[in-house]
Amino acid sequence: MIRRTAVAAAAILALTAGPAAAEDVTVTLYHYQTANAEAFRAILDEFEAENPDITVQDIFAPSREITAEVQAALAAQRPVDVATVIGKNIIFFLNNTPAGPINADREANAWLDRYLPNFLDLGRVGDDIFAVPHAYGTPLIYYNADLFREAGLDPADPPQTWDEVIAAAQTIQEETGVAGVAQLHASNKDYGTMLMVMNAGSEYLSADGREALFDSDEGIAALQMWQDMANAHGVMPIANDRQWSAAFQGGQLAMYITSSAALRSFHAAAEGNFELGVANYPLFGDRDRRVPNSGGALMLYSPPGERREAAVALLEFLSRQEISNRWSRESGYMPLTVDPLGDPAMAAYVDSFPLVLPAIEQMDETVPTATWAPYGALEAQTIVSNLIDALWADEGPAANLVPPAVAEINRILAEANPQ
Amino acid sequence: MTVAHAPGSLVSPARRSRRGWWARTASDPRFAPWLYLAPMLLLLGVFTYWPFVHTFYLSLTEWNLNPDQPIEFAGIDNYDRLVGNTLFQAASYNTAIYIAASIPLKVLLPIPFAVFIWSLGRAGNLYRTIVFLPTLISFVVVSVVFLWLLNPLGGLIPSFFQQVFGWRIGNVLKDTSTAIWVILLLSTWKVIGFNILIYLAGLVSINRTYVEAMRMDGARDWTVFRRLIWPLLTPTTFFVLIYTVIFTIQQVFTPIDILTEGGPDSTTTNLFYMVYQYTFITFDVGLGAAGTVVLFLFLLAITLLKVRVLDRRVNYQQ
Repeated sequence: MIRRTAVAAAAILALTAGPAAAEDVTVTLYHYQTANAEAFRAILDEFEAENPDITVQDIFAPSREITAEVQAALAAQRPVDVATVIGKNIIFFLNNTPAGPINADREANAWLDRYLPNFLDLGRVGDDIFAVPHAYGTPLIYYNADLFREAGLDPADPPQTWDEVIAAAQTIQEETGVAGVAQLHASNKDYGTMLMVMNAGSEYLSADGREALFDSDEGIAALQMWQDMANAHGVMPIANDRQWSAAFQGGQLAMYITSSAALRSFHAAAEGNFELGVANYPLFGDRDRRVPNSGGALMLYSPPGERREAAVALLEFLSRQEISNRWSRESGYMPLTVDPLGDPAMAAYVDSFPLVLPAIEQMDETVPTATWAPYGALEAQTIVSNLIDALWADEGPAANLVPPAVAEINRILAEANPQ
Repeated sequence: MTVAHAPGSLVSPARRSRRGWWARTASDPRFAPWLYLAPMLLLLGVFTYWPFVHTFYLSLTEWNLNPDQPIEFAGIDNYDRLVGNTLFQAASYNTAIYIAASIPLKVLLPIPFAVFIWSLGRAGNLYRTIVFLPTLISFVVVSVVFLWLLNPLGGLIPSFFQQVFGWRIGNVLKDTSTAIWVILLLSTWKVIGFNILIYLAGLVSINRTYVEAMRMDGARDWTVFRRLIWPLLTPTTFFVLIYTVIFTIQQVFTPIDILTEGGPDSTTTNLFYMVYQYTFITFDVGLGAAGTVVLFLFLLAITLLKVRVLDRRVNYQQ
């Protein structure tokens, strides 16, 4: 009797679970969109509905932890098929993890051409593309239009250059008593510094990341301006990113320059409290705008075979303009595909929510985030962070503080990364 | 059917022989203690000592956690790099400050509170609950709340000082002379209730009749404390001292990460935070492991010093 039952059970298993298990593929996706997890999961559900033999197991972690989570999973040889990697870490991950080129089969992966070419460049090494654009942010000026009006300024004509930003901040402080302006500083330790010196016309790092180059005249002038904002002009309260962000949302800061990813939360915070305005990242005089991207890209880790095919199918699905644009609308990140407004849904969205327009305008002006050499990055970034603290604390002019800091960074990088 | 069992036995010879070995080993005074200790030794070996040995090995290598990348032997290069860099120097200096300041704040300050609550008898239960509450709140929540409270742009604390006293206190988290003290005070507020509870447990073991006897002899509060309570509380104080020193640099990790990220000008980072940054931010595993070994030796030296200097002054008997 027992034997008969066992045989029957085995037969049922063989007829049901067995064949299904052989066909089903699970793609493990690491992602840091905790705030937008629900919207992203809905997109993944749609992909699963279209591909019933593929299951996407999503593992979400906060952005500060995602890199360590992915690295730990890879080290422990747990499955990782697709991972969101902070844009700044793409090259670092290429050097340190077994990521594979996504366009290995160029004909089959022609879908990559849907993305804007300069966005693909952020994950390109030679002819190979290692990172698919996914959640790229761009720095914008967010401003409190009510404070502009109260100070006698026209919120429909926001500042275009840094000189105008500082002048507007001074006027607002004098007329309203509210702090003028701040630009994000410590995201990834040095993003704000890189952003400022690159837009002033200086290079930040050499292409191989082994040499800091921002002790140029343009770089020093940009950092002197940042110091003056905190001291000589007195328009920037010394704080950190979280404090500035909270203050702006609470109506205690007139202008805050940070990623387009903040648009959704700022819009929600402003609703019923003040009118939110958004403008392009300010220019340094007549120089071109060069905005390094913030946010993350998707990298591929699946071994060749079924899992890799399923993972590439997922990446292809996410690259479709209607899906990519929907993700942009729901997350606040930049649209990523060529001619995003060619999609009627996106065009209608921009008409109804014009605050996203500056982010779309900056798509063509996005340049790759500078990446540090594999070793000595922490010390180098800490020196940059300390340099900015010293400038804000008015410990000396930029011309005196920047060159020794850059020399120290270059000494550390040379020692840690011998040629 | 042949039955091979010995007469009167229901157990086969082979099974009896196995049980006999277990019985002999378990009752052998040479093996029995090890047998009882084995589960704990196994856990300690797997989760404490082996990771430490492996960390020491990693400190002599160059690796980035990537299983596809070979681990290269680097000798003492990581230690060389560590000692030569300014981040390590700042982290070591700050670690010493965190530890030194934690002794008056976290070891000595709870004693008067604990004695006061103990002296109240059952009425002290309410106070005990009140002082213990901060211990139950997540350190992440506490840090975020204090980030808002201290915000120079409309934060409650700067606004209070401005409106009540007319003082502009600026941003204490971006001031190199105040940031580390904010983190120390915050972590003190968070753990003081727990330490008070430990002291109360120590005080409970003191026989109150001794106190009554001293009072009948005319002893005042200070004399009772100095001559009776303090000596009998020394084992508890010694315990609190040891674990405070060991855990204080871990306790400040969360506020450092949320409030200052080690700044301004590296004045709030410590060895523990530096190790985290090396290992999980830049994946310089060798350097992170070298930092861990240095941190271990640092704590070991302090602990041994304390045991050597203080242990003889501890009163273990009433």
